[in-house]
Amino acid sequence: MHIPINSGPSGSGGHSGRQAGLSDGGPATLVDSQAAAADLESNEAATTPLALEVADLGKNFRSGLLCRRIRGIEGVSFNVRRGEIFALIGHNGAGKTTTINCLLKLCRPDTGRVRILGRNHAERDARARVGYLPERPYFFEHLSGRELLRFYGKLLNLSGADLDVQVDRVLAQVGMTTAADRRLRQISKGMLQRIGLAQALLGDPELLILDEPMSGLDPIGRREVRELLRDLRSRGRTILLSSHIVPDVEMLADAVGILRGGRLVKSCERREIAAGASYMVHARAPGEDPQRWPTWLREAKPEQSGVALRIPAPDTTVLRGLLSSCHQDGMAVGSVETRHTGLEDLYLAVHEQGVRS
Amino acid sequence: MSASHVQALAMNTFRETVRDRVFYLVGVFGFVLLSATAVLSPLTVGAQGKIMTDVGLAAMVGIGLLVVVFVGSGMVRKEMDKGTIITILAKPVGRRTYLLGKFLGLNLTLTTMLGIMALLFGLALYVAPGTFSPRFLVAVYLTFLELTVINAAAVFFSTCVSSVLAAVFTLGVFVVGHLSDSIRDFGRLQGGPLQEKISTAVYYLTPNLEAFNVRGAVVHGDVIAADQVFMATIYGLGWTAILLLLAGGVFSRRELR
Repeated sequence: MHIPINSGPSGSGGHSGRQAGLSDGGPATLVDSQAAAADLESNEAATTPLALEVADLGKNFRSGLLCRRIRGIEGVSFNVRRGEIFALIGHNGAGKTTTINCLLKLCRPDTGRVRILGRNHAERDARARVGYLPERPYFFEHLSGRELLRFYGKLLNLSGADLDVQVDRVLAQVGMTTAADRRLRQISKGMLQRIGLAQALLGDPELLILDEPMSGLDPIGRREVRELLRDLRSRGRTILLSSHIVPDVEMLADAVGILRGGRLVKSCERREIAAGASYMVHARAPGEDPQRWPTWLREAKPEQSGVALRIPAPDTTVLRGLLSSCHQDGMAVGSVETRHTGLEDLYLAVHEQGVRS
Repeated sequence: MSASHVQALAMNTFRETVRDRVFYLVGVFGFVLLSATAVLSPLTVGAQGKIMTDVGLAAMVGIGLLVVVFVGSGMVRKEMDKGTIITILAKPVGRRTYLLGKFLGLNLTLTTMLGIMALLFGLALYVAPGTFSPRFLVAVYLTFLELTVINAAAVFFSTCVSSVLAAVFTLGVFVVGHLSDSIRDFGRLQGGPLQEKISTAVYYLTPNLEAFNVRGAVVHGDVIAADQVFMATIYGLGWTAILLLLAGGVFSRRELR
């Protein structure tokens, strides 16, 4: 994914840290293959066409008789490559739904430019290739699931046998075949969410925009939806989703954008989030006087029973080099601990930063 | 504007009114008709047909108005408030197409209701000896045109204001529309230059619904000229087009969130 704005400290830091670690020693084949894989990934990223281009998107609303200005979003920019899952996360009111509504031209952005699958988002044909699930999927309660899908199918210019086939296909995809003929006013919230997802899948759209797709689903339903989204990605579909449920996003997303107060304050890729993991090595100190310790131990943190050494990136090559150095200097290693700094930590850190500022 | 989209939206709206049991109102019409026959007929010796025609045609207008005010004026707003509109407009459906579909859907409901009521009414006239005249169909047709104009007004208000206000304004169009001649005459005869201007403005800015009122003529057996029906048709379609264009203009600028 190409991200034109602030990629943040942990993003670039994690990546460069890993590169620095690679030159510290270890098997040459592993170093080479890791570097080659990283290069390949970044080259691939640069050449993959974009499904969604969002630049400097801004939207304010007016409310009440005095037309009081309510800030929606400001300067939101991000790109989504074809075939990837990009997640927008943020607190309530952070601007996720406003961003999506602007993308779909449901509200007119004050500033910015949006291109969907290479076309201006105002063009109706661009929207024909997009499937959308809203945050609160209220549908016509007088219809059954199948009738609703037939109605939406007609709006996508489907008809006849093609429409029937598509409706049956999406019902099966979301596991609603048996409940398809029940009126929507009689089904549960989770089932309604599945029907909402089914209508978004009609017409086999190239880009799916899903606002809180896991909302209202039980754990099994969430897992099924995750599997469905992975399957869609494997078939080359692009997915933009917004969610509060960070673990789900972490399991699914190739790239993440964090919105706070209407601004995209951080965006990063999956490998950058994974790079947030670290190793902590606990070893016996080489002597009682730290002044006489080898120079490479300068960064070590003294502990009651020895020293703790932190490797900021999950790099086994650096770990091996460190363990070797401990062995050479006669330091018995007590334990090696893996610490994960996942998306949730990143999200909370961004939020706390916002609270402080 | 896609005809298949308009058709899908119109049929969905029609189906919604059917499943929301709006057609139960036809039962109310039947009840009114039976009551009129049973209660009023013995009191009006020799004028049974007139009474039945008068009450029957008035009931058709009243029931049609109820549907337009309570269903039509909340039609678009309800979908905006609930959010169903968002999934429709996220598809390649234009906003004007959406409005036209909703309007035609409710008009299909009105047509079906008026058709059933006209059939019941015709049967009632046929059963009562010496009262049947097919001229009542002209009144039904012009009632349909009148309700079409009010439906377009309801759609327009429903894009601008809340459901409650839209219902009040739609009802206001019905009342002022039937009094517009009187309002203009009152301004000319009683008021000063300002009042005259205001009353003239009201006259021209609201549809004159008396143009569709031939109920008195049908009751009294007067001749209804074909020209009058033709001009009323042009007038009704013109007002409908103006109101729908205005609604489309407002709705295309509407922010949805």
